[in-house]
Amino acid sequence: MWNNIYNWLDERLGLNDMYTNLLDRPEPKTTWWNTLGSASMFLFIMQGITGIFLTVYYTPSPDHAYDSVQYIMEGVAFGWLIRGIHHWGATLMVILVFVHMLRVYYTASFKYPRELTWLIGIGLFLTTLGMGFTGYLLPWNQKAFWATTVGTQIAGTVPFLGEFILKSLRGGPELSALTLQRFFSAHIWIIPAILVALMGVHLYLIIKHGESHFPTKED
Amino acid sequence: MNDETKKQINQRYERQLDKGERFWPDTIFKDLIMSLAIFTLLILLATFIGIPAEPKADPSDTSYIPRPEWYFLFLFKFLALYGQLPIIGKIEWLATVLIPGIAIGVLTLLPFIEKNPNRYYGKRILPISIMTIMVTGIILLTLMSEVPTVAEDGSKLLGTLQTLVGIFIPLTAYILFFAFKSNTRLMLWTTSLAVVSMILISGTVLALAPEKQAEETEVATTLVDQIFAGQDLYSIHCTECHGDDGSVAVIQGVEGLEGEKITPINSRDVLYTITDSAMYEVIAYGRPNAGMPPFGKTYGGELSRSEIDYINVFMRYMWDDRFEIPAEALKPLFPPLATGEVPSYDVHIQPIVKRYCISCHRAGKENNNYLMTTYEEILFTGDNAANNIIAGDEGSYFLQVIQEHAIMNPEKPEEELIGVMPPNRALKPNIVDVFFRWIMNGMPQTAAEAQALSPTPVP
Repeated sequence: MWNNIYNWLDERLGLNDMYTNLLDRPEPKTTWWNTLGSASMFLFIMQGITGIFLTVYYTPSPDHAYDSVQYIMEGVAFGWLIRGIHHWGATLMVILVFVHMLRVYYTASFKYPRELTWLIGIGLFLTTLGMGFTGYLLPWNQKAFWATTVGTQIAGTVPFLGEFILKSLRGGPELSALTLQRFFSAHIWIIPAILVALMGVHLYLIIKHGESHFPTKED
Repeated sequence: MNDETKKQINQRYERQLDKGERFWPDTIFKDLIMSLAIFTLLILLATFIGIPAEPKADPSDTSYIPRPEWYFLFLFKFLALYGQLPIIGKIEWLATVLIPGIAIGVLTLLPFIEKNPNRYYGKRILPISIMTIMVTGIILLTLMSEVPTVAEDGSKLLGTLQTLVGIFIPLTAYILFFAFKSNTRLMLWTTSLAVVSMILISGTVLALAPEKQAEETEVATTLVDQIFAGQDLYSIHCTECHGDDGSVAVIQGVEGLEGEKITPINSRDVLYTITDSAMYEVIAYGRPNAGMPPFGKTYGGELSRSEIDYINVFMRYMWDDRFEIPAEALKPLFPPLATGEVPSYDVHIQPIVKRYCISCHRAGKENNNYLMTTYEEILFTGDNAANNIIAGDEGSYFLQVIQEHAIMNPEKPEEELIGVMPPNRALKPNIVDVFFRWIMNGMPQTAAEAQALSPTPVP
C-alpha cells in the first residue's frame, strides 16, 4: 500500500527526480568546515520559529515593548527559553556567518564558477547584520536604546546624505515610537524577506555547482 | 579567464568528485550533527546564562554610556582611535563611511579583484595575509573595546598602544606588502610579526587596563521584586511628605510645606482616577503648584523611568483594592522578636530605618545633620549626637522623640529642639519596642552580637 501511495505522489511531485538531483549527488571530501553554511541556515530557521513565537506576545510600542518582553520572560510558559534561544541564536548566527565567509575566503572557494555564490553570500552577511541591528532595539531597554542611538548616529555621518539616512532610520530626528515601529517592521518582514530570497538563490547555486573542494597544490 | 583554464578547473573538480563522498548521506550527516550541536548549545546558553536584565529605555538618562551591539564594538573602537589622530581624525566620515565602505566594497567585489585562478594557499599569500591581519585586528579591538583611550590620570599610553594595534601596525604591514610585491617569504614574515606584535601589545593593554567597575544596576524583573524595589524607593523619596502608607492629608515637619493640605495618595480618589501613565507624569514632573518637586531625571530629579514604574507598581498593589498583592510581597519588615530577644542593626533596625526614616535622614535634607543610612551614622552623626543615643538610657533623645515626646531646647524652654519623630505619624508600638530594646541593650550591629546579649539563646 505504501508503495502505491509513494508511486502516486512520485508521478505528481517527481520525488525520484528530486532524490537523484538533490540528494544523491557526488561531493568532494568535506570536513567540518563545510558545515558552517548549513549551520547558519539552521540558525536562521530557529530564529524564524522562535521569532514567530515572540511576536505573539511582543508589542512594538515604547509604552509596552519593555513590559511585554518582561512578560515573555516571567509570565509566559517557556518564554524565557524561547527568548533565550532567539537572543543567543542571533549572536551565534553573526559569528557563524562570519566564520563561514572566512572559510570561503581562505580556501578561495569564491573563484570560478562560484563568483555569484560569493556575491549573494555577502548580501546574506549584510542582511544578517541588519537583522541583528534592528532586533537589538526591540526590547526597548537602556542597552537597546543607546546602542541604536549611536548606531544611527554613525550612519548619520555620511557626507551630504547623512541627515537623510539618519532621519529615515529613526523616522525623525530623535529615536521615538516611529523608530521602534519601523525597526520592528524591518526585523520581521523586510529584511527576512530579502534574506530568504537571497538564501534561496545561494542554495540553488550551491546545488548547481556542488561544494568546492579544499585546494590542493595543483589548484 | 580563458576557456582552457575553465576546462582545467572543471576537470580537477571532477577528479575530486570521484575521490569524494555522497551528498546524502555523508555530507548531510555532518550538517545534521553540527546543527544538533548548535541546538544543544543554544538551549544550554539560554538556560544557564540567560539574558541579563536591563532597565527600561530612558532617553533622559544622559549618564548612560552608550555601546553598540557587540559585533560593532570593533568599529566603535576603531572610530575612537581614529578620532585621536591629528588632522584627519577630525574628518569623521573618513572612518565611519569611507574605510568601512572600501572594506565592504573590496570584499563584495573580491571575485573580480582576485581574478587569477589560483586557489592553493601557497599561491595566495597576499590575500591571506591581508585578511589575517584584518581579522586579528577586529578580534583584538573587540576585546579592547572596554579599555579607555585616556586613563583617569590623563596618561595617553593606553590610547597610543591601542592605536598601534588598531591602525599603525596593520597599515604598515599593508604598505610593506605592496613594497615586497612577489616576495612571499618577506610577506609571511611581515604578517607573523604584525600579528604577534598586535597580540602582545593588546595583551599589555588589557593587563594595564584599569579594573572595570562593576556597574551593577538593580533590575527588578518579577512582580514581587518590583513591589519591593518600589517600596524602597517610596520609603526614600515619598515618605517624607506622604507618610509610609500614603495616608498623610496634612504635611508635617517638612521645611517649606508645613501644613500643606494634600489628597492622601492611598485613597480611591487618587488610585481610581489617575492612570499609570498619568501617575508616571505626576511623579516625573511633580506638581509645582502644590509644592511637589519633580522626581524624574528628565526634569532634574533622581529617578529613572524604571524606578518611577516600580513606585507605581508598589502603590497599585499595596493600596489599590482592584489589585491583589502576591503573598510573597507581604513578608514582615523584620522578624518578630521573642520575649527578651535583643534586636540587631542588620536584621531589625536597618529595614525599619530604611522604610520610615531615611526619606529625611539622608544627605541633602533638613535633619539637624542626623543621617541614618549606615550603622555608624545612626550612632554618631547629628547636632545632638552626644545625647541622641546612649546605651541603656531611656532618656536618649532618640527614644524620647519616637515615643512622641518632643525635646525642648534647654536654653529656651518654649522652643522645640527636636520635634516628635516621624513628624507625620507615630511609629507602631512594636517598632518603638524594637528601638527601645536595641538601645537599652547597647545597640548591637550584627545578629551574632545581638544573640550574645539575649538572656535566653534564640532557638
